[in-house]
Amino acid sequence: MPGLHLPRLLTLLCALLVMGVFGCSPAKESADGRIVLRYLAGPDVGGGSREIIRRFEALHPGIKIKMVEGPAASNIRENMYSTSLMGGESTYDITYMDVVWVPKFAAQGWLLPLDDRFTPEMQDEFLPGDVLGSIYDGKIYRLPAQSDAGMLYYRKDLIEAAGFKPPRDWEDLVRIAKALQDPPKIWGFAFQGKQYEGLVCDYLEFLWGFGGRVIDKDGKIIVDSQEGIDALAAMVSTVRTHHISPEGILTFQEEEARHLFQEGKAVFMRNWPYAWNLVNSEGSPVKGKVGIMPMVGRIPGSGAATLGGWGWGISAYSEHPEEAWKFIAFATSAESLKVSYRKGGVIPARKSLFKDPEVLAKSPHFAKLYDVLIAARPRPVHPMYARISDAIQLHVSAALAGQETPEEAMKGAAAEMRAFVERK
Amino acid sequence: MKDEGTQVWINWSFAVPALVLMGLVNVIPIGQAFYFADGFSALPLDTRLVSSLKNTFVFTLATVLIELVLGLAMAMVLLKPLPGRGWVRAAVLIPWALPTAIMAMAWQWIFNAEYGVMGDLLYKIGLVSSPQIAWLAKPGLAMAACVLADVWKTTPFMALLLMSGLANIPDELYEAAEIDGAGPFRQFCFITLPLLKPTIALAVIFRAIQSFGVFDLVWVLTGGGPGGKTQMIALYVYDTVYRYLDIGYGCTLTLVMAGCLALMSGVVLLVAGREEA
Repeated sequence: MPGLHLPRLLTLLCALLVMGVFGCSPAKESADGRIVLRYLAGPDVGGGSREIIRRFEALHPGIKIKMVEGPAASNIRENMYSTSLMGGESTYDITYMDVVWVPKFAAQGWLLPLDDRFTPEMQDEFLPGDVLGSIYDGKIYRLPAQSDAGMLYYRKDLIEAAGFKPPRDWEDLVRIAKALQDPPKIWGFAFQGKQYEGLVCDYLEFLWGFGGRVIDKDGKIIVDSQEGIDALAAMVSTVRTHHISPEGILTFQEEEARHLFQEGKAVFMRNWPYAWNLVNSEGSPVKGKVGIMPMVGRIPGSGAATLGGWGWGISAYSEHPEEAWKFIAFATSAESLKVSYRKGGVIPARKSLFKDPEVLAKSPHFAKLYDVLIAARPRPVHPMYARISDAIQLHVSAALAGQETPEEAMKGAAAEMRAFVERK
Repeated sequence: MKDEGTQVWINWSFAVPALVLMGLVNVIPIGQAFYFADGFSALPLDTRLVSSLKNTFVFTLATVLIELVLGLAMAMVLLKPLPGRGWVRAAVLIPWALPTAIMAMAWQWIFNAEYGVMGDLLYKIGLVSSPQIAWLAKPGLAMAACVLADVWKTTPFMALLLMSGLANIPDELYEAAEIDGAGPFRQFCFITLPLLKPTIALAVIFRAIQSFGVFDLVWVLTGGGPGGKTQMIALYVYDTVYRYLDIGYGCTLTLVMAGCLALMSGVVLLVAGREEA
């Protein structure tokens, strides 16, 4: 055959095979002989992470930190970590993890337990929910950095003008919302109703506020208990019976809810702390007219917050766990968390910063936020959490859309979870 | 002269390298799927399996049918001697040669609710009252968008397969038919279609298998949304393995998928082979 050079072809084939066998993992040392540690994170908005890395590298000349800026969608980054760790690769020495990834990654043996290094005394310096969410099966795998929890925003001005007080329980909230709303000009309650992870966070706050749980202590699914059904019925009533939320709530994520609230078109909003700075920013129609409080429950004081938040772990496949620990300890120091707060508005996971005069001067609402964060609860800590979440998303969304009754929805979700989750 | 038995052995020995390769890439993974498969008791409870199978069947049926009709038309045009035919043939193949993920990104922009050109086009020809159509946010429209993008990409491939069959039909048959007074339509019905049937069956099976396993296009275009209404079986398998890390059940789902494919191929072969037998 003309043009086909057999030996060359064979060489190429061998080269391909070798690449296939040994993979093309990235270099472990930079050209100047420094140890390279990698991690994957979302876009570094505000440049806080870059600043922390710069400071760390100045202190430790032998280590180079490589931040891989991945997609903003965290579920895609979750899959990227999973794919790499599933193959036992040391591509990422350090993992920057959402609180819900911890059980899944830890159950697979992908993470290094940090108990020797991250002592109980050190753990005490962080918010309790963030620490609790970092523990799986009695071992701690994550060093909390960023805290997050759902809370209730309300229009101080409107509520005061009408002679109301901030709501004490769910019934109270519905009553005030109905009295103050005037749809479509202004709605009673905005939340996250789209089928995605945020919907689960919102539902869990209802569920806990009504005294229910997803899984009991023995690992049994109890989400279809009467409390679970009542909680969903309350959530669904916002759109279906009380009409305090628009029909479009089914497409709402955080930003849609915030826009509605910020334009003065909602009395109440369930959202994360990030919205505070934005609704109070220059040019916002509701600037200075907003109050925050913990989410309400069925009876006064029973409200609960879903914990979000991010933190650092070390890959079990890392060749440099010692250096990795040095970095994550540095990145979660009070000084570094302050950098992230200053540059990117990141809520710190360390208790001390909520009493820091500099922080309080810039963000007086941190005092109230602390009460929300200290009471926040992690989502079900389970290696099959993703399956649990998808089942809740699907059925709660169907109930909001009126395709299933709250009872059908919770029974359906529980059946799906029992089929897959209890099996494990 | 060698006796027949020896000849058979020699013939088989020529096939050994191919068979070994097939064994490595087919038999071992399939065997592993059977070995690791687990959680069969969950199958009847799995509502997502049912809905994703339904979506996949709808997608497969729609794409293969449309591609068959358009592909056949395209093949017949491309077979006619026209000036610059070589260039036209190459140009037609471009959509097929593009990486799916990239062209799916482009379609995502075409179907964008705010700026998408598709809504604008329909608006300009007066079919809709507003150019802002949330294609990818509505179940029916999102599925239509997936089908359209797949048809655009894969019709050239269908045409290519059918062209090879068309080229094998002897010209004498058409000449004879012409002398007997048969018009183009009757020539198509009584010569082209019957003689092309084996090629059509092959092309349909080929495409149906590909279509049934669709992943990249839907993954990029809709991600299985809205509300799981364009979730295909391959996406569900991916979720099960990579998101739920449930490899056992993922294998079970793959077996279900393989069973569906075998069934589908069987039906196509039965329909196509009925009159030949």
